[in-house]
Amino acid sequence: MNELVHGALYGTLIATAILSTIAMGIWFERKFAGRMQQRLGPTIVGPAGLLQPFADIIKLLQKEDIVPRDADRGLFDLAPILAVVCSLGVAAVIPFSPSIIASDLDVGVLWVLGIGGLMVIPTFAAGWGSNNKFALLGAMRAIAQSVSYGVPLVLAVLVPVVLSGSLSISGIVAWQAQHHWFAVWPIVPGLPAFVIFFLAMLAESNRIPFDIPEAESELVAGITTEYTGAKFTLFYMAEYVHTLVGSALGAALFFGGWDGPFAPGLHWMVLKTLTLFVLIYWVRWSLLRFRADQLMRLCWTWLTPIGVALLLVSAAWVTFGGTN
Amino acid sequence: MESIPFGLAALVTLFSALRVVRSPNLVHAALWLGLALLGTAALFAVLGASFLAGVQVLLYIGGVMTLTLVGIMITRRHDGLNVPAESIGHVRAGVVSVALFAVLAWAISATPGLDAAPLGPDATTQDIGHALVGTHVLAFEVVSMLLLAAMLGAIVIARRKDPAPHAVTHLHVPATAVREAAE
Amino acid sequence: MTLSSCLVLASALFSIGIYGLLTRRQAIAVLLSVELMANAANLVFASFGHFRGGPTGQTFALFAVALTVAEVAVGLALVILFYRSHGDTQVDLARELRQ
Repeated sequence: MNELVHGALYGTLIATAILSTIAMGIWFERKFAGRMQQRLGPTIVGPAGLLQPFADIIKLLQKEDIVPRDADRGLFDLAPILAVVCSLGVAAVIPFSPSIIASDLDVGVLWVLGIGGLMVIPTFAAGWGSNNKFALLGAMRAIAQSVSYGVPLVLAVLVPVVLSGSLSISGIVAWQAQHHWFAVWPIVPGLPAFVIFFLAMLAESNRIPFDIPEAESELVAGITTEYTGAKFTLFYMAEYVHTLVGSALGAALFFGGWDGPFAPGLHWMVLKTLTLFVLIYWVRWSLLRFRADQLMRLCWTWLTPIGVALLLVSAAWVTFGGTN
Repeated sequence: MESIPFGLAALVTLFSALRVVRSPNLVHAALWLGLALLGTAALFAVLGASFLAGVQVLLYIGGVMTLTLVGIMITRRHDGLNVPAESIGHVRAGVVSVALFAVLAWAISATPGLDAAPLGPDATTQDIGHALVGTHVLAFEVVSMLLLAAMLGAIVIARRKDPAPHAVTHLHVPATAVREAAE
Repeated sequence: MTLSSCLVLASALFSIGIYGLLTRRQAIAVLLSVELMANAANLVFASFGHFRGGPTGQTFALFAVALTVAEVAVGLALVILFYRSHGDTQVDLARELRQ
């Protein structure tokens, strides 16, 4: 019973913190994009445009909720809720500090991979339930991309698991706190594994350069074509949450989580997560979108073989006493 | 105290399983199966098999469900949104399944000594790992070769060799666009 | 939560799967029912693993999951091939050994 209360309390805390960070993240992305494109970004709503996210969200929420006449109501309504649940549920096993973790599962990495893989269901439900050919095409592309990039994601995530000998994320972070961060040493399986994890995480959240499933020039809006108002806001939010939680996961698995040169704690985790978050925006506003076949070729001919090789290297590292 | 999550998970699983076999819409049946698999994963977790629960979610829901949904998309796309899944022989099948359940339940209740307390602690992931590469290493290797064979076999079987299927005769434009985009 | 209650639950799931297997006319719906039956078997393995100790229950269940995934993959490939030659996935159409 104590675990249930602990989980509910910390879960609510972490979910609220993530959603608040998303709200500020919207402002930051607009300003960052503006500066990268040599313009100012939002400046009107609030000082330096700081209230822009609230204006955006109020605008989205007060729009009319249009449901196509022949849409499958059950699937149509279920999809945005499931999308947010799958994105937010991953954060339940990430340790944000030595004591802040919602649920310290001893198979935390499996939970992350499983709940992240559940994202296929809301994608399909949105694409099929919209009764719209663009949505269905977007859903098929998104499912193919999600399933394909799941393979390098699993391989990359297995590298810290093998090197630290623990499937629980708090165990991996504690191991890194005692020894050394995986992206720093051993550098050969560690840093390439982080790069593969980063690319796979970008592809799983459908961020540029992997956002062909929601490419406006090709598919109107992909699976979210028929969604308006609050449900669209949920999808929008789910994508941001997925990105933020993926950054937190990368910081925990490869960069030592809450560990730091002095005074380990929550601030280091926040710093590393936000650094990766900004890196994702940087990539998003600098690069062009991959074509679908380029995307698949990258996954299957580059990321997957390199991931398998890295797994073998880390297994050899552990066997021949590299981690002692 | 363990009975509450067990009872909840059991109820969800049974209800979803009934919806799987009785739902008139094939897509709904597939999604109800997803919920049944999730309920089974919760049951595994209550039974202390946390690794198995994680693998169940990852492989079954993330893998088998995806395969099934893509299979439905490919083979039923000219039906539109409501994919009908007709069924016949309800009474006969109902009698058979109820009789089967009765026999199994009687056999379970007639077995003595089943309800002893758990003999030892639950197996951890390390124990399973040791078992996989220790006692059961032969089965492990054989299963990996079987998975490779299944993967190759599925690719070879489903690979398109004809230029176009001949059986689908009356198409309206949107379905054609979907079919061409799917190839 | 006793071993016999877990086994009865697994039997119920298995019987529901049998009902689906016998009534459904679509190939993919039959596959869904087979999945239910496989899950019931895995539940039996996991229950015995919990109540009798040792890793054997979970290990067997893991192998069963791997085998079921392979079976679904090949089964769906066959269904797709069937659809291409017959245009429909009704199991009643599978009457000839060769077209």
